[in-house]
Amino acid sequence: MKRLYYLLLFILTVVGFWALGVRFSNGMSVTNLTSYFSWGLWVVFYIFFIGLSAGSFLLSTMIYVFKMHALEKVGRLSLMSALFALIAGLSFVLIDLGHPERFWYTLVHRNMSSVLEWEIHFYLLYIVLVVGELWLVMRDDLSALAESAQGFRSKVARWLSLGYRVAKEEEGRRKQKGTSERWVKILGIIGIPLALGVHGGTGSIFAVSIGMPYWNSSIVPIIFIVSALVSGSALVTFLYAFFGQEEREKPEILNSLSSMLVLFIGIDFVLVLAEFLVGLYGAIPADTESLKAVIAGQYGIFFWVGQLGLATVLPILLIARSRKGNSARLKGLAGLSTVLGIIAVRVNLVLPAYVVPKISGLDKAYVDSRLVYHYAPSAIEILSSLGIIALAVLLFSIAWELLPIIKVSEIKQ
Amino acid sequence: MSKDTQRVKITPLSVKIPQDQLILRMQRELQKAMEKPVAQRRWAMVIDTRKCVGCSSCTVACKAENKLPPGVVYRPVIEEEYGTFPHVARRFLPRPCMHCTNPPCTKVCPVAATYKRDDGIVVIDYDKCIGCRYCIAACPYGARTFDWGEYYTDGTPVREQYELEPSFEYGEKWPRQKNRSPINNTRKCHFCLHRLNAGILPMCVTTCIGRATYFGDSSDTQSLVSELIGSARVMRLKEELGTNPNVYYLV
Repeated sequence: MKRLYYLLLFILTVVGFWALGVRFSNGMSVTNLTSYFSWGLWVVFYIFFIGLSAGSFLLSTMIYVFKMHALEKVGRLSLMSALFALIAGLSFVLIDLGHPERFWYTLVHRNMSSVLEWEIHFYLLYIVLVVGELWLVMRDDLSALAESAQGFRSKVARWLSLGYRVAKEEEGRRKQKGTSERWVKILGIIGIPLALGVHGGTGSIFAVSIGMPYWNSSIVPIIFIVSALVSGSALVTFLYAFFGQEEREKPEILNSLSSMLVLFIGIDFVLVLAEFLVGLYGAIPADTESLKAVIAGQYGIFFWVGQLGLATVLPILLIARSRKGNSARLKGLAGLSTVLGIIAVRVNLVLPAYVVPKISGLDKAYVDSRLVYHYAPSAIEILSSLGIIALAVLLFSIAWELLPIIKVSEIKQ
Repeated sequence: MSKDTQRVKITPLSVKIPQDQLILRMQRELQKAMEKPVAQRRWAMVIDTRKCVGCSSCTVACKAENKLPPGVVYRPVIEEEYGTFPHVARRFLPRPCMHCTNPPCTKVCPVAATYKRDDGIVVIDYDKCIGCRYCIAACPYGARTFDWGEYYTDGTPVREQYELEPSFEYGEKWPRQKNRSPINNTRKCHFCLHRLNAGILPMCVTTCIGRATYFGDSSDTQSLVSELIGSARVMRLKEELGTNPNVYYLV
């Protein structure tokens, strides 16, 4: 089973890298994007993963900053998913650039008025912070692993511990614990505005665009943050329910996680309701056309099945049902369904903005296959996306096996 | 009534409306503007929609001048039919870049590759542009398009020589080679900056068969464009956004 899982991920990664090879050698022409429909599947996955990352991270701050000790068991898990989701998200931005080899220009040629410019700095700071925090919460176990266990796992731990060892005497250990707790808290506190900036800012990339009435609303960055919390807590619920250690506190932890998930889903739903009701009531064509495409048009399936079905109704029903037998499986499924549904949410945050020509008649002014207002991803776009996702999952799984994320008790014995 | 007064004197249209004088006047004003420092020029375009016949020769001339590949167009002409039968008419709206005084596109560029020059022209530095296409989303006029690196003869046995000709935008030579700028960059109308620098009017102005497009320095109060901008017929696109375009339409 495990071998099959790794084999599948490996095959997907290889196919994805072939697709990426085609993309890098042939340029942006391999996509089905057009000069009028400028962002597509890769941007959808970019905001999906950045959201997943910011959401997981914010969940971890509740544990390490606000001292929700009940959830401490999933602290490392949420930090770890924050890290790998961020790496996946950034890979999607990179491959979406027409000239990916120039990505570093963003750090050299500055434009202070660009939200995207600010975001890139936010992402880089954020990655440093997540790695730092992760190291601090794991260092004791890494040190233990490095000294006790044999083989590859211990080698990795020795390398990752950066020479840190748990002090021999009680006094030193207490001191070390104090230091790491203090720093985790400090990093967590810095991390809260940073994570809000990371995803609220990602939402602002869209929201500040006056050329796109569907995005150009101050509720958009807020929806980004709340839906990030939804996806982050859903992912952690799913991972912990299915792959977490069987332990005494597990049902309790899952209960807190799933209650939180329901709360976030509820808030998110209210915000989406506000966005749609106000937009439709206003009936300004450029905005309403997009909203109509979401409710009753080509994006309807993502809205009704994905956003409302998988990411709102189904998880709430599953969680309500799970309360009876305290079923971990149902809660896990609720998490998985939400994570998948959030992909549809991301699709509907980006693509419907492009359904209306910026000037009426512009779509018919010049006939060209790249001057149209419709888009469906190409095979290369889909395969490369699957490849990046598979690689991120593969790396995450390897980290899961090697590092003290969930299997903490095993080390201590 | 005498025979004399009944006789109608026919003057050729070209004499009655001295089109050639308009273009000579614009040419003269352009050269005058070029003698001033860059920061004191303020380029503006005026398009007379009543004179535009919708021939799209500006679109085509611009394509040829700037060697634009598929998917890239700087100046499409939007057609609109209005009225109900039998009172039906068509009108045409050529849409170059508006060269906004307050451009939403330059604000969002993460590498400052696109910016507004002192003379008001919004340009793109192809060597800096990373191809993120954020500016395409930000432009309210759809005036930015992307160079996908494609050719008109893709899928045919021969790639014609004309497609491989370099473009001379911004006064530089841009050979058309795989993955090399401007391929995979955003591209846009630049009022034919390379022609202005040589003292020539933009291609769309020169080629317009109805002399419906005017160009000049709006900071020169004596110029033709300044005169036309003062007309009661003048309007601009999406004024409510506060972009303050430098392209005016006469309706």
